[in-house]
Amino acid sequence: MKKSSKAERKLQPKAEKAQRVELSLSLLQDKANDILNSTSLDTKAIQTLVDLLKLTDNEQLHVQASDVILVLEVIFKNLLKRNAMHVPLKNEEHKAKNKHAKCLSLYNELWAHLLNFMTDTDSKAAAEMSLKVAMQLLAVEAKHPISPTPKSKKNDVWPLNRLHSILYTIVNAEHTQIAPTLKHFEKYARCLDVLQNLLQILPQLAPEKSTDEIADKVLNYLAIVNLLDMGKSVLNDQQYHVKSSEFEFDYEKGRQDLNLIWQSILKIASFTGLDNEKIHRQVLVVLLERILPHLEDPIQLTDFLMDSLHQFDGAIALLALQGIFSLMQKQNITYPDVYEKLYNMFYPRMFFNKFKARLFYLADIFLTSTHLPENLVAAFVKRLARLSLSAAPEDALIMIRFVCNLLLRHTGLQRLIRATPAEANEAIVDPYDINETNPIKSKALESSLWEMVLLQKHAVPEVAQAARFVSQSSLPVMEFDLGPLLERKTCDLFDDEVKQQAKQFMLHYDRPSNFALPKQDIVTKYWDFI
Amino acid sequence: MGAKNKRTNSDAVYAKKSAKSGNKNPFETSKEQTATKGQNAFDIHVNKEKFQILGRICKHDRGMPGVSRAKALQKRAQTIGKQYAVKNKTNKFVDRRIGKHLSGDQLTESVMNARFLAEKMSQVRASNKAERYNLNDDELLTHRGQTLEEIEQYRDERSDDEELDDEGLDADFTSAANFGGGDEETAQDRQTAIDKMILEQKRRKNEIAKEKDEVYDLTEKLDANYKLLLPLVAKATKDDQAPKPPPDAYDKLLKEMIFEPRGSVSDKLINVEELAKQEAERLEKMENERLRRMKADGEEDEKDAKARPKHRSADDLDDGYFVAGDDDEPDDTLAYDLDGNLGTHLNGKTNKVQSDKPGDDEEDDDEEDGEEEEEEEEDSDDDSEVDNLSDLKESDSESDAEAAPEQSATKSPKKKSSTSIESKIEDTTIPFTLKMPKTYEDFTQLFDQYPQPGQQATIVERLIKCHHPKLEGVNREHVVKLYSYLLQYIKDRFEDASEQDIGKNFKLISGLMPHLYDLTQLNPLRMSSTLLEVIKEKYAAYRKNHKIYPTLDTFIYFKLVANIYSTSDFRHPLATPTYIFIQHILSRARVRTRQDIGMGLFLVTIALEFGSLSKRLLPCVFNFLQGVVHMSIPKRDVEQVEIPPPFETIGPLSKLLAISSSTAKESTSLDGQKLQAEDLVTQTVTLDFRVRALDTSLCLIRETMELVAEHPGACYLATPFLPLLNRLPLKLYPVHVHQHHKEAKELLSQLAEQKQKRLAPAERKPKALRLLEPRFEAVYDDKRRPKMSKAKEERAKLVHKIRREKKGAIREIRRDTAFVQELKLKQILQSDKERHEKVKRIYQEASMQQGELNELARAKKRKKF
Repeated sequence: MKKSSKAERKLQPKAEKAQRVELSLSLLQDKANDILNSTSLDTKAIQTLVDLLKLTDNEQLHVQASDVILVLEVIFKNLLKRNAMHVPLKNEEHKAKNKHAKCLSLYNELWAHLLNFMTDTDSKAAAEMSLKVAMQLLAVEAKHPISPTPKSKKNDVWPLNRLHSILYTIVNAEHTQIAPTLKHFEKYARCLDVLQNLLQILPQLAPEKSTDEIADKVLNYLAIVNLLDMGKSVLNDQQYHVKSSEFEFDYEKGRQDLNLIWQSILKIASFTGLDNEKIHRQVLVVLLERILPHLEDPIQLTDFLMDSLHQFDGAIALLALQGIFSLMQKQNITYPDVYEKLYNMFYPRMFFNKFKARLFYLADIFLTSTHLPENLVAAFVKRLARLSLSAAPEDALIMIRFVCNLLLRHTGLQRLIRATPAEANEAIVDPYDINETNPIKSKALESSLWEMVLLQKHAVPEVAQAARFVSQSSLPVMEFDLGPLLERKTCDLFDDEVKQQAKQFMLHYDRPSNFALPKQDIVTKYWDFI
Repeated sequence: MGAKNKRTNSDAVYAKKSAKSGNKNPFETSKEQTATKGQNAFDIHVNKEKFQILGRICKHDRGMPGVSRAKALQKRAQTIGKQYAVKNKTNKFVDRRIGKHLSGDQLTESVMNARFLAEKMSQVRASNKAERYNLNDDELLTHRGQTLEEIEQYRDERSDDEELDDEGLDADFTSAANFGGGDEETAQDRQTAIDKMILEQKRRKNEIAKEKDEVYDLTEKLDANYKLLLPLVAKATKDDQAPKPPPDAYDKLLKEMIFEPRGSVSDKLINVEELAKQEAERLEKMENERLRRMKADGEEDEKDAKARPKHRSADDLDDGYFVAGDDDEPDDTLAYDLDGNLGTHLNGKTNKVQSDKPGDDEEDDDEEDGEEEEEEEEDSDDDSEVDNLSDLKESDSESDAEAAPEQSATKSPKKKSSTSIESKIEDTTIPFTLKMPKTYEDFTQLFDQYPQPGQQATIVERLIKCHHPKLEGVNREHVVKLYSYLLQYIKDRFEDASEQDIGKNFKLISGLMPHLYDLTQLNPLRMSSTLLEVIKEKYAAYRKNHKIYPTLDTFIYFKLVANIYSTSDFRHPLATPTYIFIQHILSRARVRTRQDIGMGLFLVTIALEFGSLSKRLLPCVFNFLQGVVHMSIPKRDVEQVEIPPPFETIGPLSKLLAISSSTAKESTSLDGQKLQAEDLVTQTVTLDFRVRALDTSLCLIRETMELVAEHPGACYLATPFLPLLNRLPLKLYPVHVHQHHKEAKELLSQLAEQKQKRLAPAERKPKALRLLEPRFEAVYDDKRRPKMSKAKEERAKLVHKIRREKKGAIREIRRDTAFVQELKLKQILQSDKERHEKVKRIYQEASMQQGELNELARAKKRKKF
């Protein structure tokens, strides 16, 4: 007690002096040790520490919020373990009753601060730290509940209200601010106990119509839902946030909860009217990634997906198409125009879309079958080839490989590059009609793959090399694996090119005498610099 | 001989008779042979050949059975006959009757002579009549099986001693060894005597050998010493001469005149036309090299059968291209020399390239002869250059003037004028020798002193000349440093250039460009890596936000790459990343301001320069040009014209360059103008810029289309332009835009309607059957013989051979026995005959005796009666 008060005194004047005060972590740790080692609880010291958190904004006082939080975490963890905040019932007499109550209130205050920090944009470190500390405290609290509970209901001991408060904070924050917090939260969401509780809580948290910033909230909500991974890998991992042998993940219950969540999402979607493209896209992503595999009656989704597919284009249509694809796979629905839809998704602007990798992936799957009509596949081939003429090199590379794969799958299509001598003799204008929306009617089969020949003249050597397959005497034996190509960026191409250690730098043999090239000068032909 | 000796005299008579009949006169036989050989057809037996087999040498086609039989008989007589004669006769008669009882010492010369005589006599007796009187027959005396003559022949110098000691053998031994004769007592301890003698002999031999070795060693040593002494001797004789007088001026001059290369003869003798021809050849060679690199790996294989061989001969000068192969030996690279002449090696082997050219073979020899001298002279050359640095100024203009005609074979006259301008600009205020700045601050200070771009270019030029790596090894680092300073300086000047100084900056870079090129030539690897690092850095900065155009200095680096490097290569360590960089900027960076459009168009022109030779295309170039045209089309708010990003289909940015009809009067009266340097730094879009940008893009569209026109599928690139061009409100633009629009549109529509042939695999020539050398195999199996493995076959052949040999041997043996039988028969017959004769003689004598007896008896009777 003496020690701690001394330390407190030491601390107090410093806080007042402000200007040069710098509270290092070690100093704070010393203090925390003092508090914990003292025989009786010094609530005032804790109070000062908690108050410090308010001061972190203060320019004069150089206190790292994360340091203070860390120290407080240690203190309260210990207090929780000691049951120091155990508030007895009213009628009971307890000597430390007041102190416990005080501690409890301080504890709650700390939580409030933590929640504040979580959505604090200024320091990412603080946000991350506060989330981590909150989850740690939550774990300890789960083991050492504040209020005594009967042994039988061990599972209910889980401090749901704390988790609820965390989620509430996240949902109500501004959408742009929660990204770092969510990133860290993902780790916790993989723990089965947290997951179960999240599933339990989330249906209650669905944003209501009444609020103004509904869009942000919905997005936040969807972002959280996006963290709920009930996939096999997570379930098999068997990670638990609170180490206890008794807990077991109840899949059926989780599934019911997830269905509830989906219903609430649909409800939201119905009143936001899906006008907001971003929300719509996010709903689809969440649906595809997290919910669809666990849905009780996925057939009901058909209408939703069909609407999305027909009324929108771009990313939404693509996502909807993926949903329909999985329905086709698992639920045996039939959708006749799926290839036409897919065909029309290939247009130049598509490559500036975030989901282009998904499109290629999907197209690859759709066109896997060797029983598709040749004219249909030929239309795809021609369109891909045409697009690769205007696409960025990394996309062009994917498409060239894809075309090559298609030619391998459908050997009949090789007539596009191997015309009979009679056909080859007459010169024609390309009969393929790129503006035709119906792939069957695009006359692609009567065409020839001149695009590939042109692509051999591409400036990027990798693309030019890839397009050479049409001129070679035989097609490759194996199909190319598109997987590694899908995520490539232009930067990767650049890096690959630079990585090759150059032995020689060939120089131009004409010495320039000024800014212009000695021959084939173009820059100064169109520019007047001097 | 012994056999003959054995016989009694009377026997010998008969024996001689028979021998006479058996032995043929050698002259007789030879006479017979020559007679039969050519003439008598009956003596020749012809083996008829059923088939004539080419290449087989037949030895048995004709034979002379008589001759061969005679030969065989003769041979037998000499071998088996002889053997038969001495059969069962193991003893030899040695006639030792002469001096039989004499001991070793007593065997004197006279005794020996008597023995020799006796021997000779017996030989004479044994020989036939013809030999007996042959006086020319001088028999060869031998010693140890060798004739004395032979011994004489092989005597060599060093074996003298040995022979000496052979001679030194004592007479006892010789007599004992050679002529066994000796009495009983000597024979008793003969063994010990011989042992003693051998011992003695060995000892002596050893001694002699040792002595000989010593002598030999000594002589060798003496020889070696003599050789060592020789130079000393020579020197001693030289020293005798008078010491050289110190070389005076005349001598020096003479030496100089002897060793100095006699002017740059090769340059002066070649007239202008030849020079131009050489230059053209050089360029052609380089062009071929470039074309090779331009093609992809596969293309080369298909189209160009004669791939360049990997092997480089020792004579390969590698003058086709400037290769930055090894940092270690940059002296071997081809580069500009101090005077700016291309085609000189830095280590003083001047004009090697030219000498390599065909057409001046006479020079070749001279060159090679002079080369060594030149190398010797190198040091002095360098010194003189250091001295010359102070008056570089004068030589500067001269060298420029000299260099100009050399390079100008293909250069445009415009450039000549530019060089002359440069030389005019030269400022006397700039010192001729400059110290290499240690830090970048020093460098900028130096540049700040001379703010004029022309002056700065001169400074760089002089810095390079003063710190040429040829002069000093340290300068290698210096020039690299200078290069990086220049790059940094470019960055500083262009990074945030303003409207006021942009022109000046461009003037500066224009002046620096040739020097940057020269610097790169000095150490291509290092300099290029530096530039690559800079570009990498720029790219790293750009990719952080790829929607914003990078600063202007990046583009200047691109232009630097275009100017210095061979950008037409299929894959180039510097050009390819730059290509990707350009592509990334053009396809992603948003176009919002005049500066963006200007930079975009600048990039488009640079990209075109990159691909101007290789005719490679960058899709984003077409896209960007479409975008510029698209922005020039005025659109109503709801209207959308499809255009891929980074351009926008709607909103104010989609018609950034559109001209409203209200300003028609102004816009139509504008003059044709190139894009201005200010367009790269200003943000606001003015009317003249709108016209200018569209005009330039129309020209560029034509330019790009011409570039790709030859490729199949060019229509795909042309078609998207057409609807955009059709929508342009032409009447708002001045006449030159109309003109360019028309040209572009014509080319585009022509390309768009181009017909092309379907893709088909290239017709392959029918593959000729491979012509092979017939491979003959020795086939031993036929119907009669089963096929066998090689070893077995080999064995069978061997067995067959053995069998044949066996057969032959048996036959020979048979004939031998026949021969022997004949001999035996003859002998029997002869002995029978002899016996008969003897019997007859006995009967004769007996009858005679009887007759005489009878006579005596009758006489007695008669007497009795």
